[in-house]
Amino acid sequence: MLPPSLAKLLATTIEQRTYAQYSSAANELRTVTPEVSKRPTYRIAVLRNFTIEPLLPVIAVEAFEAGVHPELYVGDFDSISADVFNPDSALYHFKPDFIFVAQWLDTISPAVTSRFISSKEKIAAEVDRVRQHTHELLGAIRANSKATVVFNNFPLPAETTLGILDGQSTGYQTQTIIQLNQLLLDEARAAGGTSVLDLMSLVAAHGSVHCLDHRHWHLARAPLSQKALLPIGRELGKFFRALRGKTKKCLVLDCDNTLWGGVIGEDGMSGIKLGTSYPGSTFLSFQEEILNLHDRGVILALCSKNNLADVLQVLREHPDMLLREKHFASWQINWDDKVTNLRRIANELNIGLDSFVFVDDSDFETGFVRENLPDVEVVQMPKSGSAFRAEFTRRGFFDSLTFSAEDQRRNEMYGDNRQRKQIEATSGSLQEFLAKLELEVDIGRPSELEIPRVAQLTQKTNQFNLTTRRYTEADIRAFLSNPGADVFALRLKDKVADMGLVGVAIVTYAQAVAEIDSFLLSCRVIGRGVEDALLSTIVNHGAQKKGARKVVGRYVPTAKNAQVKDFFPGHQFQPVETATETKVWEREVQAPVAPPAWIKFKTGATDAG
Amino acid sequence: MQVSEQKLKQTLAEVFGVPEESLTADSSMDNVPGWDSLKHLNLVLALEEQFQVSLTEEQSLEIISFPLIKEVLGEHGVVFTT
Repeated sequence: MLPPSLAKLLATTIEQRTYAQYSSAANELRTVTPEVSKRPTYRIAVLRNFTIEPLLPVIAVEAFEAGVHPELYVGDFDSISADVFNPDSALYHFKPDFIFVAQWLDTISPAVTSRFISSKEKIAAEVDRVRQHTHELLGAIRANSKATVVFNNFPLPAETTLGILDGQSTGYQTQTIIQLNQLLLDEARAAGGTSVLDLMSLVAAHGSVHCLDHRHWHLARAPLSQKALLPIGRELGKFFRALRGKTKKCLVLDCDNTLWGGVIGEDGMSGIKLGTSYPGSTFLSFQEEILNLHDRGVILALCSKNNLADVLQVLREHPDMLLREKHFASWQINWDDKVTNLRRIANELNIGLDSFVFVDDSDFETGFVRENLPDVEVVQMPKSGSAFRAEFTRRGFFDSLTFSAEDQRRNEMYGDNRQRKQIEATSGSLQEFLAKLELEVDIGRPSELEIPRVAQLTQKTNQFNLTTRRYTEADIRAFLSNPGADVFALRLKDKVADMGLVGVAIVTYAQAVAEIDSFLLSCRVIGRGVEDALLSTIVNHGAQKKGARKVVGRYVPTAKNAQVKDFFPGHQFQPVETATETKVWEREVQAPVAPPAWIKFKTGATDAG
Repeated sequence: MQVSEQKLKQTLAEVFGVPEESLTADSSMDNVPGWDSLKHLNLVLALEEQFQVSLTEEQSLEIISFPLIKEVLGEHGVVFTT
C-alpha cells in the first residue's frame, strides 16, 4: 500500500498537473520501493544532447501512473554516442526496458537550424547526414538491447532564417525540417520496436513561441519551457500506458445531454438538440470523435436511464445521429442504477471494468460511479460542451502503438457475437451450440506481418493470461530466432466470421523440459474450448518434436486472471510448487492432450517450427 | 500578489525533496541538500509557475538563497507575509 499522503499527492498532481506538484511527487516516489508500490520495476533510460533534467520528475510520475515502478538512468550531457555505440556502456549495464533518445536539432545540425544555409546540395547532404546518424544510433541500440525505443522528431523554427520567403519553397528551412522528420519516421519503422515522439506537432499545438525558452537555453542548454515539458511528459506517459497494457478498450456513454442536448423522454425527437448549428453541433462533433474511436476498434456501449424504445427511436430515426444501433456492442437502457448497469456491460462484453471510460453529464452519476467503481475512468461532460471533444481526445485514453486488422474489425466482431447468441438460443446444450459454430483453429508460427499483433496480445490481454508477461515486437522476434523457443499463434474462425489471431503461447525448451512462458487468449473467444486446442498443440506437437519429456506451466496471479488459476490442474498437470504465490505445475508429454471434438484443426498448421 | 513565506518554503521543499521545517531564512545553495545547478533550473520553473512571474537570465542566476529569492520575487511585485 502506498502511504495515503503520497496517494493523495499523486491524485492532485494528475488532476492539476503543476510542475511543482510533479517535482514534489517525484521526490516522494523516490522514498517508496517496488515492494511497497506493488508495481513491476520499469527501467527507463534517457539519453540526451541537451539539459533534460527538468523533465525527469514528470517522466517518473507519469510512468508510476502507468502502473510501473520507474527506475531512471540519465546519460551524460551530450554523450548519446558514447552510451549507444559501446556494448559495455553504463546504458546497457542498466538493462533498460525503455530508452528515450532526446535530441535537439540545433546541436546536431546548425546548418538546418540556427545557421541555415540555402544551398540546395549542401542542405540535402546535411539532411542525409542527420538521417544516417539516427540510422546508426537506432541500429546500435537494436543490436545491444531489446528495450522499446522512443525518440523525438524536431520542432519547426519559430523564426525562420528567410522570413516570409521561407514559406515559398520546399527547399527552405521549414519544409527541410518536415522532410527530415519524415525520413526519421522511416528509420523508426525500419529499426523495429521504435517509435517517434512527435515533438514537431506537440510544440506546434502548444505554440513554439511558448515552448522554447531562450533564457534557459543560454543559461543551461535547456531549450524547452515548462509549457512544453508537461505535455512531453504526458505524451511519454501515453507510451508507457500503451506498452504496459493500460490502454482503455471500451467507451460507455450516457445519452441525454451527452450524445445529444436535452432529454429525449421530455423533449421528444424534435426537441433534442443535435445538428449542424449550436448547441446541437457540439454534440454532433463529439459523436464524430466517438465514431472515429469506433473505427479504431474501441468498443462502444450505452448506459442510460431512459425508456429503451425512446433511445432506440433516436438511434434508428433521428436524421442527424451519426451513431446508430450497429455501432454499439452492448447497452443497458433502463431505470436501474449505473453501477449495476456498468457491471452488466462488463460481464456481457467479458472485459474488465478498468478498461472502461464512462462519460456522463450528471454530477450524481459520475460521483456515484467514481465512488463505487474506482477502476472505471469517469469523465464528466461539462454544461457548455464546445471544447469537450478536444479535451477528451487530448487525454488519449485509447492510445495504442499498433493498429491491426483486428482493431479495425473488432466492432464487427461484436456484431458477429450478437449473431452467435442467436445460434446459442436455438441450441439445446452448450455442446450442441459449440458444434453448430463449426470452429476451426489454425495454430502455427506467426508470420513477420503477425508479429505486431502477437506483441499487442501479450500487452493487452489481462484475463485469460497465465503469466501476464508483456512483450515488445523485439522480444517476440528474439523468441522466434531462438532455436530453444517456440511461438504459437492461434487463428480462429467459425461459421459466422474469421476472428483472426486471438491466441498466443510461447514455450521455451531446456534439458527435456518444455516450459510454457506465456499462454493467453483474447477475451472474445473464451469459453469455446479453444485453449484446449492450443494446449494440445504445445504438448502433442511442440514439446514432442523438441524431445521434451515434461511440460511445465506456471500461474502468476494478478488482479485480473483468477479465471485461469485452475487451468493447469484441470488439464492433468501435477503440482510442483503450489505453496508460493506463483504456482508451478508439470505434466508428462507421454500422454497426449485430447483436443475438443467440436474444433477442427486446419491441416498442416500445427508445425510451429 | 500577496503570499505567505510558507508558500515559498513549500515550493522549495517540493523541488528539492526536503522537509519544509528544515528551510530557514538562511537556507541557500550552500546548505540545502539537493540544491545543485541542475535542480536550480527546476526551482526556476517551479517559482515561475507558482508565483506567475518570468525571471530574467540574471535573476535566474541570482536567486541562490532564501533572502535573494524573496528579493527578486519582490521586484516582480510579490509581497511576502510571515
